[in-house]
Amino acid sequence: MLNYTNAITEEKSYSSLQMKEIKPVMKLVIRGKKREFLSAIGKSLNLLLPTEANTSSRSDKLTALWLSPDEWMIYSNEILNSESNEYETENLLNKNISKTNLGAVTDVTDQFVLINMKGDKIFDLFETGSPFNFNDFRNKKGSVTQTILAKIDVIIHNQNQNEVNLFVRRSFSQHLFSWMNDSASRL
Amino acid sequence: MTKNLRVKKSNLIDETYKVSFKFNGITYYGYKGDTLASALLANDIHLVGRSFKYHRPRGIMTAGSEEPNAIVQLHNNTSRTEPNVRATEIEIYEGLEASSQNCWPSVNFDVGGINNFLSPVLPAGFYYKTFMWPASFWEKYEYFIRKSAGLGKSPTEPDPDIYEHKYIHCDVLVIGAGVSGIVAAKTSAKNGYKTLLVDEKPYLGGSTIYQNSEHFKINNQISSSWLEKEINEIKKIENLEIKTRTSVAAYHGYNFLLARENLTDHMPLEQRKNKIRHRLLKIRAKKVITATGSLERPLIFDNNDRPGILLSSAIEKYASLYGVACGEKNVLFTNNDSAYETAISLYQKGINIEAIVDNREEIDSKLIKEIEKNNIKVYKGYTVVDTSGYKRINKVSIMQLSKDGQKVIGSKISISCDCLGISGGWTPAVHLFTQSGGKLKFRDEDQVFIPNIYPSDQISIGSCNGDFTLDEILSTVPKTLKEFLNLKKTDYEDLEIKSSFNKSKRNIWLLPSDKVIGKTKPFVDYQNDATAKDIKLALREGFRSIEHVKRYTTTGMGTDQGKLGNMHALGIIAETAGSKMGELGTTTFRPPYTPLTFGTIVGRNVGEYFDIFRKTPIHAWHIENKAEFENVGQWKRAWYYPKKGENMHDAVQRESKAARDSAGILDASTLGKIDIQGTDASEFLNRVYTNAWSKLAIGKCRYGLMLNEDGMVYDDGVTTRLDENHYIMTTTTGGAATVLGKLEDYLQTEWPELDVYLTSVTDHYATVSVCGPYSKKIVSRVIPDLDFSDENFPHMSFKDAKIGKIKCRVMRISFTGEHSYEINVQANYGKSVWEKCMEAGKEFNITPYGTETMHLLRAEKGFIIVGQDTDATMTPIDLQMDWIVSKKKYDFIGKRSLYRSDTIREDRKQLVGLLTENPNDVLEEGAQIVADMNKSPVEMLGHVTSSYYSPNLKKSIALGVVRNGKNMMGQKLIIPMEDKQINVTVADPVFLDKENKRLNA
Amino acid sequence: MFIINCPYCGEREQSEFKAGGEAHIVRPKQPTELSDDEWAEYLFMRKNIKGIQFERWVHTHGCRKWFNVVRDTSNDKIKAVYKMGEKPPTK
Ligand SMILES: [Zn+2]
Repeated sequence: MLNYTNAITEEKSYSSLQMKEIKPVMKLVIRGKKREFLSAIGKSLNLLLPTEANTSSRSDKLTALWLSPDEWMIYSNEILNSESNEYETENLLNKNISKTNLGAVTDVTDQFVLINMKGDKIFDLFETGSPFNFNDFRNKKGSVTQTILAKIDVIIHNQNQNEVNLFVRRSFSQHLFSWMNDSASRL
Repeated sequence: MTKNLRVKKSNLIDETYKVSFKFNGITYYGYKGDTLASALLANDIHLVGRSFKYHRPRGIMTAGSEEPNAIVQLHNNTSRTEPNVRATEIEIYEGLEASSQNCWPSVNFDVGGINNFLSPVLPAGFYYKTFMWPASFWEKYEYFIRKSAGLGKSPTEPDPDIYEHKYIHCDVLVIGAGVSGIVAAKTSAKNGYKTLLVDEKPYLGGSTIYQNSEHFKINNQISSSWLEKEINEIKKIENLEIKTRTSVAAYHGYNFLLARENLTDHMPLEQRKNKIRHRLLKIRAKKVITATGSLERPLIFDNNDRPGILLSSAIEKYASLYGVACGEKNVLFTNNDSAYETAISLYQKGINIEAIVDNREEIDSKLIKEIEKNNIKVYKGYTVVDTSGYKRINKVSIMQLSKDGQKVIGSKISISCDCLGISGGWTPAVHLFTQSGGKLKFRDEDQVFIPNIYPSDQISIGSCNGDFTLDEILSTVPKTLKEFLNLKKTDYEDLEIKSSFNKSKRNIWLLPSDKVIGKTKPFVDYQNDATAKDIKLALREGFRSIEHVKRYTTTGMGTDQGKLGNMHALGIIAETAGSKMGELGTTTFRPPYTPLTFGTIVGRNVGEYFDIFRKTPIHAWHIENKAEFENVGQWKRAWYYPKKGENMHDAVQRESKAARDSAGILDASTLGKIDIQGTDASEFLNRVYTNAWSKLAIGKCRYGLMLNEDGMVYDDGVTTRLDENHYIMTTTTGGAATVLGKLEDYLQTEWPELDVYLTSVTDHYATVSVCGPYSKKIVSRVIPDLDFSDENFPHMSFKDAKIGKIKCRVMRISFTGEHSYEINVQANYGKSVWEKCMEAGKEFNITPYGTETMHLLRAEKGFIIVGQDTDATMTPIDLQMDWIVSKKKYDFIGKRSLYRSDTIREDRKQLVGLLTENPNDVLEEGAQIVADMNKSPVEMLGHVTSSYYSPNLKKSIALGVVRNGKNMMGQKLIIPMEDKQINVTVADPVFLDKENKRLNA
Repeated sequence: MFIINCPYCGEREQSEFKAGGEAHIVRPKQPTELSDDEWAEYLFMRKNIKGIQFERWVHTHGCRKWFNVVRDTSNDKIKAVYKMGEKPPTK
């Protein structure tokens, strides 16, 4: 058996901000341009991909983030078992999308670390390192943006009032998490 | 202190809170709320520094950020020391230590003061003229110049403070919280705009907040009381954020502004711990309202720089805001009504005024009448011609002006004094407006530049827009705001305003003297010691462009950027050259408006946050096992793993030997990995790599070389065909992001018809590479379910596999020339796979090796490293890699460039192997390669790109690029070093196992 | 720093983008048929205009899409933004 070693082992808690990695969470990047692609995804997953820029959609099991006109990230709402890395959704999409040449499906489960943030200082922290204008974003549940935080690429999903899921590439995650804690300590 | 210079209670000063501070080693007292300047003045200290060139005694001149003279060093010889701090801005706190700058040994006795008497030999351009020739003397001059120049000392220890950056996005930014800014901020915020109001001072209200006179009223209330109510109101508006002690440093295009929010500089040092000192605000505003006010102009006359000479408005501010009298015998010298405002204010407080000297003839002004009513002597149509007093003014000499203002007439009158207030009218603070790209126009009637063409959605209001008087401001500003913010009405429509200010002014840029100009010192730029005489000299010497005159005379080039004297410099140039001010233009105002500390600019990008670092999923193991790390791109990579007592060389020799004799293991997770899918994936690879891809079977791997369109090698790596329409490409560690970017560029712009999707999976996989004769035994123990026989799993092929329930991909590829396998597994299982390999390889002496050994091993095989053996000037032909360039393919990126006249030249630098005559001599990478040491100059044929001592070959090996090297096989060349010459022979770059037998060993 | 209106993501700060030089320089379909001079024209020669310039940008730190920008290089004002493959605006 292989041991599972995720990137961020600490949970951090400040008076108005909590941050921790959530794992294992399946993440897939799906790509496609054709109309049939969108409908095949819809049928396979019972989930309509968001076509409006900077938005997301959600089913019981999955959340889909708009990343570009032909690119989405799908992630599982539930925590999975770390003893296997076979994902039902991936297999289904491989069958219905990749094999039928409708588009591309790529497993990025460990490409990204999901940092869940809760509290009312989330955006104050972002403002210390991101040029993105969060004024409207923070009030719009489900909004998504890809931008820069502390010089590092991030995907930010506004889950709920005072709750955000932040995705960062694994190799940057420890550096970013350290930076976020440094900044959070002064909020 | 015998004198009592504190004159009245003030809102800003807390007289119950005494603060002690040191200036030049002596302890003084002030009150909370004082600036260093106001506290020094209250202690009767005017002399605070020496001037830059002549080391003349200089005093506090202003009460704001425009201060040219009173710049001090804080906390000398500590880690918190800071030079060039304006005494007029720094608020005192318990324990503040300040000292004078640019003087030695002390401000009262300064050796450099001799320069003042030498000044006839220190004219404009003195440094340029004297020190330019002969060039070889420069080193000596530089020592002398550096020693005598410079304002203050920079700290030598790391900065202990914390600085932070913050992005702010707002609808409206209002810069300046004077009466105009307050009106604007309230109007904007109350109409639904998310508004930010900033001011550099610790209080709101600008100069109106202490305008306490029956002559200036709004709705029948004294202007300061009216404004105070407005301020109390705006503090309650939710939509409005107010930041004091916040100075806008830069105004860039697209309404992007940088401001420094000063959070702790007014606190005692022990209270600053763990607090952010400065915050650099990066502001994006949809609309900007600039209400930065105006700066009072000095007057230019002989010896106008003595301690005790201040701007008239500064004297008023010190008296009204800080409750400090700048002198006991005050004289005011003016060309407009402003000085009378000061005079009335001083008179009310019981501060003595000896006389007022006014350039103007008889003027009908209510303010003058009030002064005269109080029996203060006003000399009308007079000018100051000279002053005296070395460390403090003690006398002014005045004479009558001729009708045309060009000369003085009559006899000299002396007035003794200890303080002289000067007022030359007002200059709109248009610095930020011009920084943003705004164009100015010149208004002749009062000789000011005012905003004309706005480059972005912004407006200037109040006195920075040339509306100087209360009635002008309050009648114009609401109208302007209505239009700018698209409003139907404002709260300020029908204000009843009383202002007794008469706008007449007699502007004379350089006041006449009874002496010839050569005998006078009328300072234009106080900080840089530029006089009107210097400017005239520059013009005589033929300089015409205002930018040239500025640099030649150094006018406006100090830390204050000549905020006081720039207009006079322009005026004098215009008059002397006979041109019009409006046509002359102004010099460029550059950011920052006031200096920023480096800490503020850098923010948190210090220490571990100076640069980003990336870690592999196996990083923790490398740390536990005492690896040394090297930075590769942004990655921290294990460099070598020294055992006890080993140095780098020992470790690398041991690791290299083990990798070939038994087994080695490398963390290759940093290699870029791009997932390629789509029905045109093969065609796409055909176009981006130099070799052919269509016929690569599923499950096979192939090495590819990628060129730029100019034919130069750009990247390389192994790509594997996972399925009919599915590949995984590896790139170099450093090239991952740029390769993906370049491929996307071609896909999106040149070949949008191709059905191909690219997705980075670099971070998704950990890559564990096991090589050496025992590699097969080791990996087959880790993955027992997989058939590792050569028949099933030959070199350059790939297999899907599982370790337990965890999927992984295994490639049999080699960068060392050894039999080797790469296990790619989802990152979070990477460390575990590595540990399993270590465990399985224990009995086979499995040895972790780092990047240094990897480089050595591949060099033994003559494999290139893009970026080390290539430098964007090497074609595949230059690398002797013709074999990888398809002759059959019609096109691929860079193909056409491979037969440009330049790329087919025979005498290009080509990659060759180099063997040293003495096998123990290891060449230095980067060393030059020559053939003939006697030729003059020595001809450089190329340089060494890679060099190692090979433990497997027991000799030194190297790669290098040599002009026409391809045809020099076996030829002797020379590597000249500092202390010797090393003889080398050009060799085949493949040093080991030319037949590739070891791949299947 | 500019604000660039990505045709896909909306207004973002310049630091999220990279510039890609002059737009509408099409890679020759048959490079092998070209003379050295013609190839050099494609490879090296750029107008570098002071004034209205058509140029390419990519939203590197966002949607990763390339697009075109019409920018006045004398004052950095962006006059228009349009997708790859779309016709440049005439006004
Ligand atoms: Zn975008």
